[in-house]
Amino acid sequence: MSLPCGTRNYSYATDIAIIRTKTQWVMFIAFLLLIFSFPFYFPRFWLDVMNLIGITIIAIIGLNILVGYCGQLSIGHAGFMAVGAYTTAILTANFQIPFLLALLLSGIAAGLIGLLFGVPSMRVKGFYLAITTIAAQFIIIWIINHWTDVTKGSMGLGVDAASIGPLSFDSEASQYFLIISITALCVLFATNLARSRAGRAFIAVRDNDLAAEVMGINVFSYKLLAFFLGCFFAGIAGSLFAQWRGHITPEDFTFQQSILYIGILIIGGLGTSIGPIIGVVFIRLLEQFVTLLAPLVERSFPDIPSGFATGLSPMVFGLVMVVFLVLEPRGLAHRWNLFKASYRMWPFSY
Amino acid sequence: MRKNRTFKAVSLVVVVAFIFTVLAGCASQAPAEKPAVKKPIKIGMSICFTGTAAEKGQPIGQGELDAWKYINEELGGINGNKIEIVWYDTAYNAAIATTNVKKLMDDGCLFFTIVSSADATASKEAANKAGFPGLVIFSSPSLTNPPGRLYSQLPDYGDDWAAFCNYYLKNIWKGTGKPKMALAILSNSTGYGVRDAARVAADDLGIDIVTVEEHKTTTISEIDALTRIKAKNPDVLFIGSTPAPTSVILKNAYELKLTPGMTIACGHAGFTKALIDLAGKDISDGIYGVFPTVNWGDDVKGMPKMNEYCTANHKQYVGNNDYLCGWTASLINAEIIRQALKNSSLDVLAKGDATAWKIAEEKGFRMVKGYDVEGLHGPVDFSDPVDRRGSKSVKVFQIKNGEMTALTGWIDAPYIKYQ
Repeated sequence: MSLPCGTRNYSYATDIAIIRTKTQWVMFIAFLLLIFSFPFYFPRFWLDVMNLIGITIIAIIGLNILVGYCGQLSIGHAGFMAVGAYTTAILTANFQIPFLLALLLSGIAAGLIGLLFGVPSMRVKGFYLAITTIAAQFIIIWIINHWTDVTKGSMGLGVDAASIGPLSFDSEASQYFLIISITALCVLFATNLARSRAGRAFIAVRDNDLAAEVMGINVFSYKLLAFFLGCFFAGIAGSLFAQWRGHITPEDFTFQQSILYIGILIIGGLGTSIGPIIGVVFIRLLEQFVTLLAPLVERSFPDIPSGFATGLSPMVFGLVMVVFLVLEPRGLAHRWNLFKASYRMWPFSY
Repeated sequence: MRKNRTFKAVSLVVVVAFIFTVLAGCASQAPAEKPAVKKPIKIGMSICFTGTAAEKGQPIGQGELDAWKYINEELGGINGNKIEIVWYDTAYNAAIATTNVKKLMDDGCLFFTIVSSADATASKEAANKAGFPGLVIFSSPSLTNPPGRLYSQLPDYGDDWAAFCNYYLKNIWKGTGKPKMALAILSNSTGYGVRDAARVAADDLGIDIVTVEEHKTTTISEIDALTRIKAKNPDVLFIGSTPAPTSVILKNAYELKLTPGMTIACGHAGFTKALIDLAGKDISDGIYGVFPTVNWGDDVKGMPKMNEYCTANHKQYVGNNDYLCGWTASLINAEIIRQALKNSSLDVLAKGDATAWKIAEEKGFRMVKGYDVEGLHGPVDFSDPVDRRGSKSVKVFQIKNGEMTALTGWIDAPYIKYQ
């Protein structure tokens, strides 16, 4: 981890701490205050966007463990989210299981299904493995569509608002606190995982699985662990999505979404802790920006040809993505690190 | 070091105390702050202008906006009050559709309209939870069963299928026993609306469903599915999809020599001018379709004005019945506002808050009884507490020489009990 000049370690505890300097603590506290005070000054719509951002961050963190750290390409992440969402919906509605337990079980259920589709990683990798995860996406959604006695097929399932003891998370603001808190825990877990023995093993497998095996790393079991953890996070994200939306159908977990998640991860920065967060915030806000852009353009220029303004939105979205990939192929996380480095040297560069 | 530890401890206590204070607020269910009261009534629109259903979203959306232009500029608004329109594109994306509906609530809209059943499915729960009423233009049974805050402008996709079955049995079927029907449906609420209705009502109607094949909006070949359908030797194929995939199916059916010969019919989501343009005049000739409006150019009261606006502003949609659906949606919206204004005041409705939404539903939507949409489609009635379909009638059409020709007058689309 790069640190400001003069930061020294006096103990093992300080060496492994994520937040090291006073400035970092001040900024961290200010950030927390800012984040947790959003509901006091943001309207329902923006809180909803931030809830969606939080849920997507959790899903992308899982994908980052799988793709970014362990190098196992998965293009079926929305399918694993669906497993988590439907597990929560069924457990809370049919078995009256408390939300927190249902959340955990949803993660485990998605993780176990992920393990199943991770087994081919023993034999195949790269694009071939990607094909098996695409199969996961379609098989899971097909089952949900056709197991109508349990999932109600296209009609979907209603999901009650989450509650923990006397706290009911049924408004946008209360959902925001729940989602952001769980997102923070997931970010913390993933950041620490990357620095653990398992995290280092993942990176070794990603960089050269043959060399990793020679070093004594059990490649297959670590690949499976990555699948379990990646899909566990997808399950948690799915579970939160279900209670956020209040009603889920198979249409909420499309293949296009799985592709988008890969795009978000690449734009954010593969194999970094901050990458998924920056990528999600950027793409979700860009989506909202282009949604608001078309009516604005049409109002400002009433004489433009019909359909031009609405066609502008996807063009802007695509163009911005392409520009970022061309100018910053290592993701926004890399740009963030460059910014931090220049900030630390300011005003005296070496 | 000690100073550092004290600093950290104090910081942590401050953060924890702050978080607990904030979480305490979770117990209450206070809604988000409302925007300041504004004079004009605002109506929200969530339209799939882009994305994989844009060939429908564009004409419907432009039809809606043109009708509001007519109401505001030519008719001087409703009871002298100009109506402000707030619209957003969903890009046929469920996540955006969900946040759009919240944005429309925050913007202080009195109610909203939404074009596609897939987008409406994503918005349904948010609207139901907040009590924010909405009009769905192209609807699916799952949106209004059980009844919530969403109202369907037209009969849904399940009704199309049932109405066509009745027509087929009376006018086309010459064999004995139950005719064999195959369903080719889109794998979302558009197609599943047909499948759900077939599950509930096929036996009662006397139809034998031999196979159900699903496809995606992005499909480029349905040869596999049609080969399986051909093996089942059905008498009739019913397609529940949007124009682009329907055109692919029609082209593939022609290549497999299923047509001419087999009877093929489409639900109203796919049966539009865009289908003829995409599939071609020759291939689409003879295809049956169900549509819940009159045909473009029919001699009804509202046709000249709509034609005038369409020709002036969006020439490319002349002859497109989707534009007509959008136009009529705005006329219905105007009637809802008229009813609400009759039973409440402008100031109350213009607030666009929970109270205004409740009034809009109870004194607006529910008071619309037998409203004649200038003859452009069947009369609209939202007074039934269970049946949330506004218009309850459709027409059966056939494509002849590249034109959609009506074969029937209005046919009742009976209410199907899904529960």
